[in-house]
Amino acid sequence: MANEAVVMKNVSKQFKVLNRHEGLKGSIQDLFSRDYKIVNAVSDVSLTVEKGEIIGYLGPNGAGKSTTIKMMTGVLEPSSGEILVDGRVPYKDRTANSEHIGVVFGQRSQLWWNLPLIESFNLLRDIYLVPEKDYQDMLSLYRSLVDIEPILHKPVRQMSLGQRTLSDILAAFLHNPGIVFLDEPTIGLDVSMKARIRELIKGLNEVKQTTVILTTHDMGDVDALCRRIIIIDEGRKIYDNDIEHLKNYFGSYRTLRMRLGDDSWVEQVIDEKKTDVMHAIKEMQKEHKVKDIQLQEISTEEVIRKIYEGSESA
Amino acid sequence: MEVQMKKKRGLRFYLSIYKKILIQDLKSKMSYRADFVISTFGMVLTNISGFITFMILFHNFPSVNGWDYHHMLFLYGFSLIALTPVQCFFDNNWNLRFMVRSGDFIKYCFRPINVFFYFISEVFDVKGLGQFAFGLGTFIYAWNKIGIPVTVVNIAEAVLFLLTASLFMIALMNLAAATCFWIINSGYVMVIMFRFKDFAKYPASIFSGVFRFIFTFLIPIAFVAYYPSLVFVTPDHVPLLSWLSPFIGIAFFYVSYKFWMLGVRRYDFTGS
Repeated sequence: MANEAVVMKNVSKQFKVLNRHEGLKGSIQDLFSRDYKIVNAVSDVSLTVEKGEIIGYLGPNGAGKSTTIKMMTGVLEPSSGEILVDGRVPYKDRTANSEHIGVVFGQRSQLWWNLPLIESFNLLRDIYLVPEKDYQDMLSLYRSLVDIEPILHKPVRQMSLGQRTLSDILAAFLHNPGIVFLDEPTIGLDVSMKARIRELIKGLNEVKQTTVILTTHDMGDVDALCRRIIIIDEGRKIYDNDIEHLKNYFGSYRTLRMRLGDDSWVEQVIDEKKTDVMHAIKEMQKEHKVKDIQLQEISTEEVIRKIYEGSESA
Repeated sequence: MEVQMKKKRGLRFYLSIYKKILIQDLKSKMSYRADFVISTFGMVLTNISGFITFMILFHNFPSVNGWDYHHMLFLYGFSLIALTPVQCFFDNNWNLRFMVRSGDFIKYCFRPINVFFYFISEVFDVKGLGQFAFGLGTFIYAWNKIGIPVTVVNIAEAVLFLLTASLFMIALMNLAAATCFWIINSGYVMVIMFRFKDFAKYPASIFSGVFRFIFTFLIPIAFVAYYPSLVFVTPDHVPLLSWLSPFIGIAFFYVSYKFWMLGVRRYDFTGS
């Protein structure tokens, strides 16, 4: 068995978009127009995801994240390049591919709106041909990870957004897929629900060794779940490494704040490649009394923001 | 392993999934009793008013192009029954364009089952049942009045040709709905196509040559009641088109299904 859950080689996706004209005359023109422009949604992206990994797939809005996910799930065909998901070409064999993946699009429930959750689960069991024993085992695993009893007999339509997201995630793991795609699973949720969802994803990944590909704008998700992240912008991959490395992306900076004798705070950005924190404190103490210090790590959020902003100006 | 899995998802698999979805859906609809009662009542009223219009019209013109009152009634009942499946089982086609526009349609592409089946199975419209009861009553009444012999062959033919007729209407609505994958204002196409069904309850022989051609070969609404019912109404000279209608119906449905699926493939799922 190969150890890669997903392999993408030089994948690009172009869309043909009609150049629309304004006004009534323009609309009539559009009817017959062959005036297309080509938009590169994804350009020459190569990546590998190992089995059992939780990977953060990040990028600003419109960067090409969703397009990539749609190609991996077999909904879109790449314009060029190769994709293998669990050894299959997703677009060519969408049905076989979908047996082995789970998908959650935050805010878009895939469950039967009018049915109680347990009935949706039963239907999914039948659709994915899950053996009864595996199904019951999975339900008991769910019970051990989250309190599902209050929502199990509730129709999806009556659920809160948090309960719905929780249900959708559980539904995506139900047939024990090798890979689960989570697109902004915590969007719009309150802090405690976010934490529950993160714990659930982490738990399922640990027990079932499910590969998780997570797209999100919430760095809390990334910090809680991912060891490795991939960032794309304008369709190109611009970062693919551990989060640890990410913090060194601009050099290993930390901010040292010191409270002096007159209770005023001074800030100093420390580049650890050039100097170290203790040295900076000693230097300060030569001239001032230092009553207190704070040391701030640069947050993932700040680094990502710098990367997004950096690539915009480039 | 893979081959085995595929084999399991045959006709029986789909029927059992459909049955389960249907039962669950009906259960949840029953829990909204007021909604259920009002919508059924509304459908009955719609049918009664349609029927009264029809009565007034044909009491004044006792014979249209050689079709007397009871023959017209037969055609009317026939068309109502034939229009039931499209109403009951394929009603989700009306939601297709909204789902495609909003991007919600993508959810149907993630399951290891046929996308068309998955989409269509999601909605069962109970209102169609009122129409069915009404149509069946009219049909049986007219059948008796015309004096069509109640034989096994006749009943089997009736079932076959009713199914055929409904295939045409389903196919027409599939085609109309699937246009939303290409054009933005596809709602008009659906509404126009749905209006055409009103022509189904008149004998196509009353239309002039051009329209008869259109309703036979371009928008085959004449197959929804006229051609199949000729088998019973004028058993002595049944046109070839009537006998061929089951085959044409299956072929037409298949084409509409392929067109629908082509739309799914072609659609680029823009937007996140």
